[in-house]
Amino acid sequence: MSDKTADAPGFLTIFGFFFGISAVTIGGGYVMVPVIQRAVEKRGWIPENEFYDLFATAQSIPGPLALNTAVFVGRRIAGTRGFIAAFLGILLPPFASIIAVASALEVVGAWPPVRGFLDGAFAVVPGLTAALAFNMIRKRTWTPLRAVITVAGAVLIVVAAKWAVPVFFAVVLVAWLFERTKPC
Amino acid sequence: MLNLFLAFLKVGAASYGGGWTIVGIIRTEILSLGWLTPDDFARLVAVAQVTPGPVALNAATMVGFRLFGLAGAAIATLAVVAVPVTLALTVGALMSRMAKRGRQVTEALKTGTIGLIAMTVWAFAPAATSSWLNAVTAIVAFSVSAFTRINPLWVILGSGIIGAARRAIFG
Repeated sequence: MSDKTADAPGFLTIFGFFFGISAVTIGGGYVMVPVIQRAVEKRGWIPENEFYDLFATAQSIPGPLALNTAVFVGRRIAGTRGFIAAFLGILLPPFASIIAVASALEVVGAWPPVRGFLDGAFAVVPGLTAALAFNMIRKRTWTPLRAVITVAGAVLIVVAAKWAVPVFFAVVLVAWLFERTKPC
Repeated sequence: MLNLFLAFLKVGAASYGGGWTIVGIIRTEILSLGWLTPDDFARLVAVAQVTPGPVALNAATMVGFRLFGLAGAAIATLAVVAVPVTLALTVGALMSRMAKRGRQVTEALKTGTIGLIAMTVWAFAPAATSSWLNAVTAIVAFSVSAFTRINPLWVILGSGIIGAARRAIFG
């Protein structure tokens, strides 16, 4: 990577690359990131081990994982130009499709089969979110202290309602202090 | 509009651990501001999950669009990604080093994220008890995504089609 921007792919190439992935991948970060990885490797833009470093960084900041990974990859291959190209490429397809769907719903939204479809699609949400929580809990390495802080934190966040965001950061801070003092 | 921006800015800052974790927070924000009814929000989530793109981002775009049209959609979308992208540009590398050195930061974030997903589960669980069909659907959806590698999208579409057929037949 001696000469980063001279022979780097252009704005439109990077934009088109992420636009394509974002447009055809339904299901958010954990579906999209492997797709990005394979495609990036195939083009020889970034070696595999470096991709994992970028992915780790993307996970350490908040925000949609696919978006974070994409902007890091974009910046790595073509600097600021790549960053902006990746940002727009990832965001535009969902943005445009949401606008299209929302506009269509204003017309056909009251039609019974459409309402029925949406009600049915929503009915899976309690199950899906519960499974997500279940997997997070199952995959974690537990210690008694961790369990206590996690349960207490979850209760506080649920109770906090409108204040959930500041309470979330407070819980993370407290958990971090405990993790530091008592390495598990 | 400013309220819309601030609400989603806040949501974006806490969006760790994948989109679904913050849908509960989005819901609380939107309902407490009286912008949408719980039913409206449920439909919106239904649409957001079958449209390409991260669920939280789609939900933000849609709420913005419903409230203030195209400008609202753009503002809500940008607000949700503003904090993450700024962090990515500035301290991303630093946070990654922190996260790699001790596993403490990662573990602390996991603790908080489980709290966030708990909030989402808490918000949506009551919907599973509203009818027998909803209860069965929720159990099937849970089993499929907790114990199999089947893409949950199939369950979403299947349930949607059943719902559409039911409405078409029984009205």
